[in-house]
Parts: sequence; structure tokens; C-alpha cells
Amino acid sequence: MDGWVGRILRVDLTQGDYSVEDLDPDLAKDFIGGRGLASKLLFDEIDPRIEPLSPENKLIFASGPLTGTGAVSGGRVTTVTKSPLTGTIACSNMGGYFGPEIKFAGYDLIIVEGKSPEPVYLLVMDDDVEIKPALNLWGKTTFEAEDIIREEIGDEWKARETQIAGIGPAGENLVKFAAIVHDKHTVAGRCGPGAVMGSKNLKAIAVRGTKAISVADGEGFRQTVLDTLNKWKADEGLSYFGHTGSAAAIGSNNRRGCLPVSNYQRGTFEGVEGLSWKAQKTYLVSRRSCFGCPCHCRPEYKFSDDKFGERHVGMEYETLALLGSNCGVDDLAAVIKANDICNDLGMDTMSAGGTIGCAMELFERGYLPEADIGFKLNFGNGEAMLELLRQTGLRTGFGDIMAEGAYELAKRYGHPELFVGVKKLEMPAYDPRRLQGMGLNLATANRGGCHNRAYTPAYEAFAPPERLMEPSATEGKAALVKKLQDLVTVLDSAGICLFPYAAMDPPFQEEEVLSQLEAATGAGYTHDDMLLAGERIWNLERMFNLKAGFTKEDDTLPHRMLEEPLPDGPGQGQVCRLDEMLSEYYQLRGWDENGVPTSEKLSELGLEDEL
Amino acid sequence: MKKIKIDFSKCTGCHTCEVACSLQHIENMVNPKRSRIRVLQVGDINLPVIAGPYTEAECTTKGIIPIAEQEYDACLFCRASCPVRPIFREPDVDIPLKCDFCGEPPDPQCVKWCTTEALSFVDV
Repeated sequence: MDGWVGRILRVDLTQGDYSVEDLDPDLAKDFIGGRGLASKLLFDEIDPRIEPLSPENKLIFASGPLTGTGAVSGGRVTTVTKSPLTGTIACSNMGGYFGPEIKFAGYDLIIVEGKSPEPVYLLVMDDDVEIKPALNLWGKTTFEAEDIIREEIGDEWKARETQIAGIGPAGENLVKFAAIVHDKHTVAGRCGPGAVMGSKNLKAIAVRGTKAISVADGEGFRQTVLDTLNKWKADEGLSYFGHTGSAAAIGSNNRRGCLPVSNYQRGTFEGVEGLSWKAQKTYLVSRRSCFGCPCHCRPEYKFSDDKFGERHVGMEYETLALLGSNCGVDDLAAVIKANDICNDLGMDTMSAGGTIGCAMELFERGYLPEADIGFKLNFGNGEAMLELLRQTGLRTGFGDIMAEGAYELAKRYGHPELFVGVKKLEMPAYDPRRLQGMGLNLATANRGGCHNRAYTPAYEAFAPPERLMEPSATEGKAALVKKLQDLVTVLDSAGICLFPYAAMDPPFQEEEVLSQLEAATGAGYTHDDMLLAGERIWNLERMFNLKAGFTKEDDTLPHRMLEEPLPDGPGQGQVCRLDEMLSEYYQLRGWDENGVPTSEKLSELGLEDEL
Repeated sequence: MKKIKIDFSKCTGCHTCEVACSLQHIENMVNPKRSRIRVLQVGDINLPVIAGPYTEAECTTKGIIPIAEQEYDACLFCRASCPVRPIFREPDVDIPLKCDFCGEPPDPQCVKWCTTEALSFVDV
């Protein structure tokens, strides 16, 4: 096969064995790869009602047909599993170099199933696959574990070329939002794939490959990649965000009034200067890219005063907003350190920020006693935030309760209305009272409150006047959300990164995605095929969730977004008017009034068997 | 005469040059391990190294290169295809690889694909 390498590595941790299977080319074309293909396999192979942390759950690492090919930003790998945080199907992807290396080792996907009786890690050196004991790694942070595995590999050059993704103490301790961390700072975080990995006693996967990925039309592929690269170099939006990283957006989102502040109690932050791009620049020493990406949105910071140690890899916008303004923290150094703690212990920064913000509000309102936490937890207290993050990752002290996420926390203290999330997933840093389309996307996103399922800010916020859709309007948003959800699914499945494609004009670059996908695979994709595949995958994920027990009642937003008007900023006085959009969205999706895909729609998508 | 100039301070570690090189030298194939340019992550820096001459023996001198208050093993900066490193040798068959500037007239693809100008093709 071209684009895909055509093989799946299946590892059974219960038996301590593995097998290699051929990839079905028709299935690959219909579900593209990455998120799509892995979701199809998960749907077929597990009962959606299983307990996510049981050995029956599976964890799939899936590259896409563009991963590692040199396609622009083709460095992604997606983890797909049933989420222990949300109970939905969950796909969480990351960049770096891990996904490409899986392909160079000769596999499109690694399926992990069962549960090892003892801690192990998986070592994949091309065709040599070993399940190795990891007792010495258990309890180590993600940073430490990477270093130890490299030492165990021995050969300096092989170790240098080995890519590692693993969990820290948070994953071992089954923190519900535990992440899988690669290259010390590249993270598949949302929905807790790290906890699933921990439940299987799998500490890490280390991969090195020396094989080739073939592309169908080498000359055409080189031309389309070069054209795309050159176009990107000239693009204004991308030149800016590719240079600064997404964190620079905090200033403009504050002006827009869609920044979460103090557990989403406000949409603008008086301390925003402390977190701004201007402040970020004072610490910035260099930037790094992921594989194949002309963006270099992974900043590296250095502190001169050694307040928190030396060098730190920077965060993106969501981390900055959720561990910064959402916790009332205006000290950038504290947020950089918080990001570090999350990456080192292996936790999703977004859910961590959402949960701490929720705890801070519970504390300030007097619902959560200081005696339970052991210290004061006011908004803006950076030191308390850092301490609570450490406790959460290790499940010590009050961290044991934090580790269950904000939904369980708010419920436990009798105020579920203070949980700000969807389907138990803490929300991203775009207030849907200000961006109405984002509200519809969050309510319907298949993994819960995730902005990236349909990145509507490309039309509702970061858009030139001719493209800008009025953020406070609901008209046209159902169609926008459906279109973007399908399109983003294509990008996630192909193995390319949403961020740079979303920053381009026009956003998501359909023609460039298609031409790279077709030149790499030669599978005969048309524009319609590609979008239909996105829609097919979206509906498949929906069917998984319905079978897992989710209903229309779950397609909603938290109390605060629907009932409490924004008190400040340009969106002052607004709530999210979800009811004006949801029925239209169901209709456009070809779903009935209960949000269930009709049999006609499923037939159109070739999903008759999934009903 | 022209040469490829490397400004490692501009390299962000995207490895696109390795892809460009392997697509140029092996038809329709992407394989960074067979590339004649490799990007090494060394401490705080990303270091593109271009394959130079083949050497039969391991060298006996060990050098240190100081950059911005840090010291680096000179071995990492070396362009040779040598017996102690797997880079610049074909995996499996071990044939040494050397940069050929992508033929005559020279048209190095790595430079073409580099978006940060860490690589440039300049007159000497």
C-alpha cells in the first residue's frame, strides 16, 4: 500500500504476546486512518458498555496515511479508546515524532489489549517486538521514564532515534484525566487515555523504525507539499501563530471576551498582561516543531531567576488560559511550571485547570472547607495550584478527590452547577456564551466538551471581515459546526495537525489536504469521498456513544453557559442559545429528533451494520 | 561554486529536509534513516548534519565544541559516514551515503523544503 504501510501490530498484554495483521485497503480508504480507522476497529471489537478501566477496553495508537510522509504537519498519532473520564469513545492526538516512527517501524496502528499482570513497556524495533518488564519504571515520571528507557536500549545512536510515549504517576494512579506523554512535552491528554494505559500496566511504548513509507505519486506528492509549504510561508495568520504558538491568542481572546476567568465566572481578565505574548517573550529562548511541520509552535522558556528551575517547554493557549486566567493566576512563571508538572506526572492540563478552577470556586463560596484541602485555595493562588497539581498526579491528600475530575468534585460538594464541562469533560477556553457556534459544537462533540471537534473560532473569532461570522448570532452555525466537525475528523484521521491548517486562509485547506492525501495514497479519493469519510467517522463515533448509553439529554451545556449571562466584555448579558441551533443541527446531520442517525443516513454512509 | 550553509540556530527540528532527501534519492519512498541529511537533537539545539566522506575507521581524537556556555561532543557534528554511527549508512546493507547536492546542476531538495532558512544554498 502507499501512504499507509499496510500492517497492524496487535499486542495482547494478558497473554504477553503479539501478532501482525494486514490492513484491509477498502477499510483504510473508507475510514482514512488515525482517528477514523481506530474508531472503526474499537467499535467492532469492544462492547461500548464496558468499564473503561477494565481489561476489556482497548487502547489504539493510530497513525494516518499522511503521518510521517512529509505531508505538511503530518506528524500526528491518535490514541483511541473508551474514555474513563467521559464514558464516550475518545480520540486524543499528539504530535512530536512518535507517530512517524511507528510507520517507519512498519505499522499503521498499534492495538493494545488485555492487562499485563506486572508493569511492562513495549519495545518495537522494526520487526522485533518485545514486552519488557517495567517494575523499575513504575512510579517514575514521564521525563524520568524516557531517560531510563533510552539507557536500557544501550546503543547511543539507536536510543537517540527511538521515540517514546508513556505515562507518569497520574496514569498509574488512574487519574481520570491522565495523559500519554511523548518527548517529555508532547501530549495526548484529553479524556484520560493515560489512565487506560495505566489500567493495563503498560508504562510506555518505545519505537524505532528503519523502513520506508511509500507514496503513490512521488513527483506529484513533492509538488503538492512544496506548493503548500510555499503558500503557508506567505500566509499572514500562519506566519504569526506559527511563530508565536497558540498561546499568543490570550490577548485577543480577552479583548473578545471569550476567555475563561475564575471558573468561567467572567470573560475578561484584569491580569491578562501577565500572561500575554509580551510576557511570554521575556522567557522565550527557542521554538521547536513537530515532524514535518513548518510551524514551530512549541516554545521553550528559560527563567533567569531560577524561580522554578531552568528550562521549560511552553504551553499552548488552552493550557495558559485554563491554568492561568481560569484559576485567576496572572503569573506566567507559575503557569509554565504548572504545565511542566502536568507533563511530568502525565495529566491533561485542560482538565487539570478546569478541575482546579472548579475547586477554587467551591472554596471561595464556602462549599469546600479548607480542612478538606489542607490549605487555602483562593483564585489567583499560584503556589496552591502547583501543590494541588502535584497531589492530584500522585493521588495524595485532596488530590485523590481532584483526580476524579471537576464533575465528580462539584457533585461531591453538592453544587453540580459549578462544573463547567460537557459529558464530564472540562470545557476548553472559548466561552460559548460569546461564541454561539462553539456552544453547539461543545454540546454535540463526540468526546465531550472539546473545541477541536469543530474549531469554529476560525470563523467566529480569528477571521478577516469577509469570513467573520457574527459570534453572537446562531444563524448558520448548525451548518458551520457540521461542516467543520466532518472536516476536522478528516484531518485527525489523515494524521495531520489541526492547528496550522485552521490558522490558514481559508481555514482547513480542503484542496491541499485532498491533493496530499491522494498523491500519498493513490486510493482515488475525490473531494466528496473525503468529506463523506469524515461524516462516516463522525456518525460511527455517535453510534458508539448511543450504544454506550448516551442520549439527546447529554447534548447539552453546563448550567452556567445556558443560564448565567456573561457579566462582562463584548458578550455581556449573553447566554448560549443552544436550543436555537440543536434541532437544525440534528436535521442537517440526518438524525431524528432524538439525535439518532436515521437508517437512511447510515445506509448513505455505508454504516448499515452499525445500527 | 556553491555550498549548503547551515544555520542551526534557525532549525526547529521538523525533519522535513530528511523527507525531501529520501524522496529525491529513492523513488516514491520516504525514509529519514536513509537520508543524507540528518537532524540531531543535541541538548538545547537542533543540528542538521549533511553526509560527507566515508571513513573506514573510527577516529581516535575526541573533540568538544562549546556553544552558548554548553559543551557538545564533536562526534555529533561530524559529517563522516563512519563505523561507529548508523547515520549516513543504508540500514541493513550498510552502504555509506554521501550528499550529492541532488545531481547536476546542483539543486538540493533539503534547502527547497526548509521553511525556516536554517538551510540555504549560497555562493562561496
